[in-house]
Amino acid sequence: MEGLQHFLEFTGFANVTIWHIIMIAVGLFFIYLAIVKEYEPLLLVPIGFGVILGNIPFVENVGLMLGIYEEGSVLNYLYYGVVKGIYPPLIFLGIGAMTDFSTLLSNPKLMLLGAAAQVGIFLTFITAIALGFPTAKAAAIGIIGGADGPTAIFLSSKLAPDLIGPIAIAAYSYMALVPVIQPPIIKLLTSPAERKIKMKPPRAVSKIEKIAFPIVGLLLTTFIAPGALPLLGMLFFGNLLKESGVTRRLAETASRPLIDIVTILHGLTVGASTQANVFLTSDSILIFVLGAVSFMIATAGGVIFAKVMNLFLKGDDKLNPMIGAAGVSAVPDSARVVQHLGVKEDSSNYLLMHAMAPNVSGVIGSAIAAGILMGFLLKVF
Amino acid sequence: MFDEFSLNAVWESGAILISVVGYVVVFISLLLLFTIFSNMQRVLTFKQRKKLKEQGHKAADAEDLNISGEVSAAVSMAIHLHFAEIHDFENTVLTIKKVQRTYSPWSSKLYGLRQLPRK
Repeated sequence: MEGLQHFLEFTGFANVTIWHIIMIAVGLFFIYLAIVKEYEPLLLVPIGFGVILGNIPFVENVGLMLGIYEEGSVLNYLYYGVVKGIYPPLIFLGIGAMTDFSTLLSNPKLMLLGAAAQVGIFLTFITAIALGFPTAKAAAIGIIGGADGPTAIFLSSKLAPDLIGPIAIAAYSYMALVPVIQPPIIKLLTSPAERKIKMKPPRAVSKIEKIAFPIVGLLLTTFIAPGALPLLGMLFFGNLLKESGVTRRLAETASRPLIDIVTILHGLTVGASTQANVFLTSDSILIFVLGAVSFMIATAGGVIFAKVMNLFLKGDDKLNPMIGAAGVSAVPDSARVVQHLGVKEDSSNYLLMHAMAPNVSGVIGSAIAAGILMGFLLKVF
Repeated sequence: MFDEFSLNAVWESGAILISVVGYVVVFISLLLLFTIFSNMQRVLTFKQRKKLKEQGHKAADAEDLNISGEVSAAVSMAIHLHFAEIHDFENTVLTIKKVQRTYSPWSSKLYGLRQLPRK
């Protein structure tokens, strides 16, 4: 009889709280967004399921070793890759092996749009400090505006390990909600005539340029911001594997099985890290609000900068300012949003290839920003 | 913790300096990449331009010696079709040989067609 009572005390029904129910509902909502709305399903299915997994109620700290925060549990071992910033560089390796930088190389001025959109990171960083967050935590929150999940997790693992859960969930949520967040901002800042601007088709890029880019890019960016070395090093290495043409097997492994495995582990453990008792705090809610603000500022920053560039460009060199919004990274969703809006205005205007240029440059820009913030704040921290 | 919005905290933490320097450095990094790669094309086409100039081609002074992606896609398609021997025009060589056989009602067209009543 005592055994039965013991068993009943250990069940989820005996330990459930309203917060567990709320978080399980959040997990189900993520899965709904992924399956029904098809918003970033490769991320939201593992994260959503992870949220449910991490919020199954049980008795903690009695030696069962079940929870993600309990040392020795399986989930805790897998979570190690997030806490120590191991998964983000591996994801960047896969991204590098999948990314074609030729649109960027055919029109290098579009790199500047990727830099402009990083304004969201720094303005949110300042706002978070004004709201009372310590400097290092404020930087980790600001990086949500980079709209790059691995970069956000990498920086928060270094500067604010206790905020990884909320920052990761906020970053990935906004990345998934790109089709909802960006269009109103883009429409607000551009006129119908601007949205109809057709850009000249990209030129063919030579193999030498494609091979030189990852090498020159690595040397230049990491000499300036060595903090970004794990991310940019892997990104450019992956790209060299792809572009060299002699390491096809390695490039295929990095761009498919490796990134798939890491994405599964990364998504599931990030989701599971949202255990209700750790996750549901006033800080988390504020991080969500600041993340949204950061993302909106970044989008607006990119669009406005594209309009400024247009003041100096002539004829068919002019940019469609909508592609500035893709500078927030969130590859390739923000480029897809721009393409969708472009076709809506003029069914013969295809902007996808043009938008991919600021999109991939945004990935580089946000990683550099993360490296700079680490360079400044790891000393203070 | 978040009772008031404190601009003093921003000032004292040095956040403005970090942000300005950070944003400028991000810009400079990508500006340098832009500078290198917008000039790389010129360096790579230097020999080609020189050769064209020697041959007296007007194209040597063109701003962009490269062909657009659309044109190269069309050229690639044409080459592919050429090598795959998929062509738009038939070469008019008849490949059906007429074979003489003795008459047999089994293959006669007359018996194979439906006999419709005549009016």
